[in-house]
Amino acid sequence: MQQRRTRHHATWATRPAWATRPAWATRPAWVLAACLAMTGCGGSNAGDTGTETVKIGFVGSLSGTYQDVGQEMRDGFQLYLDTHGGRFGGRKVDLVVADEGNGAATALPAATRLVKDEHVAALAGIVASGSYLAISALAAEHKIPLIGSNGRPDTENSDWLWTTSFRSPDPGTAIAPYIKEHVDGPVWAIGPDYKGGYDQVGGFVDTYTKLGGKLANPGGKPTWTPFPATPNYLPYLSQIAKSDAKAVYAFFGGENAIGFVTQYKQSDARNLPLYGAFLTEGPVLQAQGPAAEGIWNVLNYSPDLDNAANRTFIAEWSTRHTDRSPTTYAMAAYDAAAVLDKAIARISGKVTPVKINEAIGQLGQIDSPRGSWQFSPRNHTPIQHWYLRVVRRDGTQLANRVVQDLATIGA
Amino acid sequence: MGPLNALDAYLIPVIDGVAYGLLLFTLAAPLTLVFGAGGVLNLAHGSLYALGAYAAALISDGSWTSLALAAAAGTFAGAAGGGLLSAALMPVTGRGHLAQALLTFGVALVAGAALVLAFGPDNLRPTVPAGLDTTVSLAGHRYPAYRLAFIAIAAALAAGGWLVLARSRAGARLRAMVDDPHMLACLGTNPRTVLAAVLTVGGALAGLTGVLGAPIIGPGPGTADTVLLLSLVIVVVGGLGSVGGAVAAAVGVGQVQSLGVVLAPTWTPYLLFAAMALALLVRRQPLPTGGHA
Repeated sequence: MQQRRTRHHATWATRPAWATRPAWATRPAWVLAACLAMTGCGGSNAGDTGTETVKIGFVGSLSGTYQDVGQEMRDGFQLYLDTHGGRFGGRKVDLVVADEGNGAATALPAATRLVKDEHVAALAGIVASGSYLAISALAAEHKIPLIGSNGRPDTENSDWLWTTSFRSPDPGTAIAPYIKEHVDGPVWAIGPDYKGGYDQVGGFVDTYTKLGGKLANPGGKPTWTPFPATPNYLPYLSQIAKSDAKAVYAFFGGENAIGFVTQYKQSDARNLPLYGAFLTEGPVLQAQGPAAEGIWNVLNYSPDLDNAANRTFIAEWSTRHTDRSPTTYAMAAYDAAAVLDKAIARISGKVTPVKINEAIGQLGQIDSPRGSWQFSPRNHTPIQHWYLRVVRRDGTQLANRVVQDLATIGA
Repeated sequence: MGPLNALDAYLIPVIDGVAYGLLLFTLAAPLTLVFGAGGVLNLAHGSLYALGAYAAALISDGSWTSLALAAAAGTFAGAAGGGLLSAALMPVTGRGHLAQALLTFGVALVAGAALVLAFGPDNLRPTVPAGLDTTVSLAGHRYPAYRLAFIAIAAALAAGGWLVLARSRAGARLRAMVDDPHMLACLGTNPRTVLAAVLTVGGALAGLTGVLGAPIIGPGPGTADTVLLLSLVIVVVGGLGSVGGAVAAAVGVGQVQSLGVVLAPTWTPYLLFAAMALALLVRRQPLPTGGHA
């Protein structure tokens, strides 16, 4: 995998898209160094932490549909490592990267190779919930901690599983009380027709109706749009405009988020307030352009959060990536590295997967760019703050700006 | 209440069904042309669209000149892609549809990776001129101006395509090649030249469609797959290789997807493929394989 990427880089190094992504530029040298180190010492040496090496596996989408998210996560993880001397808890880190591709079918073989051939002490990364689910069994079988930083399905046994992002229903759960309080009338809920859509929109609908809110959708059921191919949202939007909806709650990501938001502003529904999760997060915002202005959205992070950890994070990030602000994906991967760093620092003697897993469970509050958070004892996902943001014009660029705290949520 | 109210409720979905249907037709037209005239099922069709869409996203900055430039660049890139494809197909000439489809599928995979390497993994959108990036009022409803313009352009493309195919000498050669390539060769026209021309023109058309369609289906890592899938549905519903059938299928599917949201909201996720299954059942014709059609 790293070999293949390295060759790509050599061939395409002069392309402008690469020139604006400095993390790629530094990677091949890093990977080469990692490969050399790998052949030299096959594992970790007991005793002296100064010379001990701990091998960490990172699985993320470096190709395919979720490549933008995978790249953000990789950049976030690498940023933490680079700014901490390439060490976790005093031990030199040997980072082995593998491609998750589009989902479980490619992710599981990649992770299996990291576990069986590379004997990594912990696994991190993982973009898609499906990949996480497939790899969780592997992690439990080999007793290796899995620290995911994006999609997290509900799991029965979370002994070896950790997540630094959030559970899919959390954003909707966090914003529902605010919408109930500020919107005078029924709300139309809409999302894509797949598991992620059901969980995200379901989180909102459950809490909102429990609080006495009413959906404007026919039959009181959310509207599902064909996934992944729905280039046309206008018929849905004219339906919404004809209903008695006073606001819209939507979850869409990537290409779908661009289509939904640009068409929203050109439809009869354009004057209804639009609330959402992920609608305007990441590179989609610039593609949406002026149509995104004024969209309310809920997230666990925003680059303009005012706390010391975030100021450091933003300063470090902007020296490496001048063309874009960090996303929640980058932040969650940065935090996964921080979790490993803090956990390994608690270990005396030889670092083993079992000791890392135990140490993560004892971390308590974690200081993070998103504000402080902790793992829930039950399913090992964050108990954290959620923020209400709105898209505003910031000079020539559009940006998500924090409006207020919403709630602290986690289970 | 009454018929006027009902008309009002369905007006926007019907107009939108036409606009969206014509978008689907322009997506599928190059695919059906290349299959009908060249006998090649071009699975790299979506990549040619993506090339044009990237040209639009990179070049079009909101001025009319830049949009025209993007259209020229996208058409040229698509034509070059189609030309390369015809060169790549030379060695497998005469080995049947499967070899050709496999080769174009391989090209699509390589092209998909190359496009992401060249343009990055983000989904992009072009900035269209302000006159198009607005809404117009249609019987009291807001409707995107760009889509209305698209109806006109797509209708012109369809009419022009029909004129060339049915009325011009080049079109006659094309139809001759579909019917009897050996006789065409006897008359002094090399079928290979015609095939190369068809792929190049089909590529140019796909590139141009990519430029024009980019504000609705923009370039990104998933674009080629989306476009290929939608085009294949249209081509299958309309009958392989039939341009007229593709027009009818596209407008029909456009209406199903747009009116269906109003009439059968709970079924919308399945409507596209339900329409395809229904069309196949109703037509009950075997696919045209090797002269047994």
